[in-house]
Amino acid sequence: MQKVQKFQTSSLTESIVAFSQFVRAHGLNVGIQETQDALLASKLGIMGNRQIFRQALKSLFCNSPEEMLLFDQLFVLYWETNSIDLKSRKGEVNIQGSFNKKANSSVVMLGVGKSENQIEEEAKNVSGANEVERLKKTDLSLLSVMDASQLEEIAKKFCKQMAARLRRRKKQSRTKGLIHMRRTIRKSIATGGEPVSLLYNLKKPKKQRLIVFLDISGSMDKYSFFLLRFICALKEHFRQLEAFVFSTSLKRISKGMQSRQLDTVLKNITDNLDHWSSGTRIGECLQTFNDQFGKRMLNGSPTVLVLSDGLDTGDVELLGNALQKIHAKSKRIIWLNPLKGMKDYKPLARGMQAAMPSIDDFRSAHNLESLLELENLLLHA
Amino acid sequence: MLITDLKYPEQLGQQLDKQLYVADEELLTSLFLLLKLNKPLLLEGPPGVGKTEAALVLSQWLNVPLIRLQCYEGLDINAAVYEWNYQKQLLGIRMQEGTSLSAAEKEQKIFSEDYLLKRPLLQAITEKEFSPVLLIDELDRSDEEFEAFLLELLSAFQITIPELGTIKAEFKPYVILTSNRTRELSDALKRRCLYHWIDYPALEKEMAIVKKRLPQIEQSLLEEVVKHVQLFRQQKLNKIPGISETIDWAESLMALGHRTLSQKAIDQTLGAILKSSEDIELIRQTVAETN
Repeated sequence: MQKVQKFQTSSLTESIVAFSQFVRAHGLNVGIQETQDALLASKLGIMGNRQIFRQALKSLFCNSPEEMLLFDQLFVLYWETNSIDLKSRKGEVNIQGSFNKKANSSVVMLGVGKSENQIEEEAKNVSGANEVERLKKTDLSLLSVMDASQLEEIAKKFCKQMAARLRRRKKQSRTKGLIHMRRTIRKSIATGGEPVSLLYNLKKPKKQRLIVFLDISGSMDKYSFFLLRFICALKEHFRQLEAFVFSTSLKRISKGMQSRQLDTVLKNITDNLDHWSSGTRIGECLQTFNDQFGKRMLNGSPTVLVLSDGLDTGDVELLGNALQKIHAKSKRIIWLNPLKGMKDYKPLARGMQAAMPSIDDFRSAHNLESLLELENLLLHA
Repeated sequence: MLITDLKYPEQLGQQLDKQLYVADEELLTSLFLLLKLNKPLLLEGPPGVGKTEAALVLSQWLNVPLIRLQCYEGLDINAAVYEWNYQKQLLGIRMQEGTSLSAAEKEQKIFSEDYLLKRPLLQAITEKEFSPVLLIDELDRSDEEFEAFLLELLSAFQITIPELGTIKAEFKPYVILTSNRTRELSDALKRRCLYHWIDYPALEKEMAIVKKRLPQIEQSLLEEVVKHVQLFRQQKLNKIPGISETIDWAESLMALGHRTLSQKAIDQTLGAILKSSEDIELIRQTVAETN
């Protein structure tokens, strides 16, 4: 994505236009409008001063403190680079940038490489009325590669239905609210100002906000991919959904989820992660969340969803404290643990025990069916 | 001094200085562009760093009214833009009863400007003689839907009322939006605005600000107070004190007649700067340790 740089242009106008292309190529959201404003600003006669020039462009081109940092680097790179210093430089990774659409992201972390025969046998042992029912009940960690792609299709369908159902039900549960004065008066003109029929304002559906934490550590490998898909389905319903993945460190993936194409989303997210399948330090990650995002995201009591097996290798006390803090500010915490699907499972892992006091709902998430059951829980979220 | 006489951001700085506002060069450049390009300015930053104050001093300097819209959750078009005066409308229909007006004429009459209640946003674009300063405060508190209402106003400076048509501003207001970043604002809105992030000031700047507001403060006390506040900000507090709190603190110390920041003075006045019991406890401990 090498663009023209300052020394290659001949007039100020040209330089500014090329600069806006340059920063756009590096991820700033700069369009024609901004470029035009920059040119207008350059005609104010303040551009002789380099400092003011930089600040003016910054004010026009940036939208957040993070962008401002990037801008400063790009500014130096563009305006102060000479042709001699120039080396071929790679464009930075842009979330909405180009990617290989055909790339199949679905095999990323399924149980490939395990002794397949054994797994398949176990999976086949699950009985059900038909293929679909069988797959719905199969533990996600016991899927064969064949079944995986099939289940994925089913999951896609069910998740879509679930999202649609959640939306629709909300509409039907609306009740009569306040009188809509504007429409009532308008209608009453026909009856000589007598408000014969009253019109009502529909009650606004309560805003639902959801924060999701997905454990992508090694112990969750078998599940994390499907759970990620599940989160994408939830996104359809909860427009204000914030998603994070964590293992040894925390990473916000809400931005990567903006695309409507599921495959793009999964590709975006998996490409930008470098700690899939590593260890787990839940406490520290939640602590990071509290420090960095807590003030911004925990207002208005959101529902918090944690998808993790609770096998923590970090400081357990920290986990308890961090979760308690989140609990104090959220409506409720739902913890989905894939291991809960196992017979006789008890939350005895140290991490799980530390977390239990702050959890409002403790559920399993080992197969598609258990995930879909969550629908009822979230309906009243 | 008029806007047309402004040539450089520094000149604006001198003018705002007279209004007791200390701004750094970057903020001045943004304000300068706001005045010259007539684009809205979005100011983001932690609470208490002077975002709202910037709009206030700008309106004072320009000698125009400040029209302020405080955002809150659930703020809707009726409270922010306009509302029909329903009581008057009901009476209006009654009064038209005997007349020979047709239904269409009647409707036109009771949906005319006489029956319109102007809320801040509509008020800001219907000024007839000058451009006012419009402050949309704490936009992050409003719902996402409300941002969409603002888009038309911010880019075209016009508001459409279905019954009346489109009202376009004769004098475009100078719009300043503020946000504490408790949530991310939409890209569509941000694209229509200039952007500036105000952070907590450095030691010298904060001292200059406090000095400006409290000219009679003694230099030694000023230095001690500001240094302490800067240290407090590095602690993990629930609520980090802003500049307004620094000023409050210095003012309370002066009101109580303290000339230095003794242990007693701190104990008495810590409530002016820290607003939660855990924070006060934490700072007490650290202060006691350092002494």
